[in-house]
This record gives sequence, structure tokens and C-alpha cells, in this order.
Amino acid sequence: MAFNVRFEMLDKGIARITLAGELDAGTAPLFQKEVEKATAENAKRLVLVVSELEYIASAGLRVLVFAKQKMGRQVDVYVVGAQEQVMDTIRKTGLHNSVISVKSYDPAVIENI
Amino acid sequence: METLILPASLDSLAVIRKHVQTAASDAGLEKKDSYRLLLAVDEVATNIITHGYLETGIDGRLEVRAEVDGEHLTIALGDSGPAFDPTQVSEPDVNQPVEDRKVGGMGLYLAIRNVDQFKYQRVGDQNRNIFIMNRKHMHSGGSG
Repeated sequence: MAFNVRFEMLDKGIARITLAGELDAGTAPLFQKEVEKATAENAKRLVLVVSELEYIASAGLRVLVFAKQKMGRQVDVYVVGAQEQVMDTIRKTGLHNSVISVKSYDPAVIENI
Repeated sequence: METLILPASLDSLAVIRKHVQTAASDAGLEKKDSYRLLLAVDEVATNIITHGYLETGIDGRLEVRAEVDGEHLTIALGDSGPAFDPTQVSEPDVNQPVEDRKVGGMGLYLAIRNVDQFKYQRVGDQNRNIFIMNRKHMHSGGSG
């Protein structure tokens, strides 16, 4: 599947980025651009919807690290619906300790600040 | 399987992954092992393209070759960029909180740890990165 990324600003300062396809060094700059929109908006929470993300390389993880470092410890980063192989990679690099991973999109949890 | 020759550009990464995926399927690798292998090759290819070519401004080519024998699937990734041995790069501290981490290092860490064997060779003016995955054989079950 070709890479696709979509940015939305929800109420209460929640930034939601939906990723699909393959996130590698070629497509990571597109993800980076959307994260920068979230930081420009001073988002209070970052929600990454990744149920259709088939592949993630370290270039994609680097954007995630950038997001965490730029937004600060106060801002939670949710990873929603990660496929097994994607979650595996996140775990192997220790990044699972820095994000909140949930299986499905429950607005009561995710959009509740 | 024939050798795939591609420009050393980021656009080639998806093509390389597809090639490796096909080789993995043909070799009967399980889904998880296929993914580990293609991530590893992708990470090293990315490094070659980014550091060996994009940063030095050289136009280059990558060669990807798959070989199967009874026990292994071997992917050989070749380039003629500057000498670079991925096994010599220091590993990131994956136990360190993200907020304190230095950038970088994750790609090669994922690559080398993900495959059953990894070898780097410098042959003349060529880098050769070799990824080996064990083929697991399904034995017919039962003691009869």
C-alpha cells in the first residue's frame, strides 16, 4: 500500500495523525511535516492512528522520538491499533515505554484530556 | 534469482523490500522472519543511500542478490560507496527514556539484531552486506 498520512486537530488541543502503508526513510519526511503541524499548534496530546500502517523503519521511529522530545514529558503520545510487526519494532527499540499503546480507538479514552 | 540493480536513491527502498519479500516467500520463510529480514535489508540500504551517496553527492547503484540453499536464504546487498561497516556502529541505549536519547543508531541496531547472521565484507572498492536467515523446515509429524 502506498504511504498516506493525514493530520487533524481535534478539540481540547488533541492532534490526530493517521498513517497508512509503509513508513520508511523516503516517506518519513511526510510524517515529520504533519508532526510539525502538531507542535506548531502546541498540541496537548498526540494520537497516532496506525491500524493501516504495514511497515515502519527506524526513520519513522525517529519522527516519533522527535515528537516526544519536542512536545515534552507532559504530552502523551497514543499509538492506536498497531499491527503486530509494527509494535514489535517499537518494542525492540524501547519506544513502547514512551508511548501509550491501545488496540482500538475509544474516544472516551483517547479524546479525554 | 537474478541480481537487482537499482539507483542509490530513497525511491529504491520499496523496490528492494518487494524483492526481498519475494525471495523470502519463495524460500518459505514465516511471516515474522520475512519481516525481520526485509527490515534489516531496508535499514542497511537506507544507511548506504543516505551516508554513502546522498551526503557525498555521488551517484551510485545498489545491487541486491538473493541465494537459497537447503538451510538458508542469503541476501547480499552491494554498493561501491565509501567503506562502511555497520557492525562497528555503537548501539543506542534502548533502556534510556526517549526524552534523553541522542538521535540515531536505531536503524543498524534493528538490522543486525533482526537476522540470524549478518556479515560485512569489503571487497576491492565494494561494500558487501550479507544477511542470512535460517529456513525452518516443517517436519511431517507423528511418531508413526
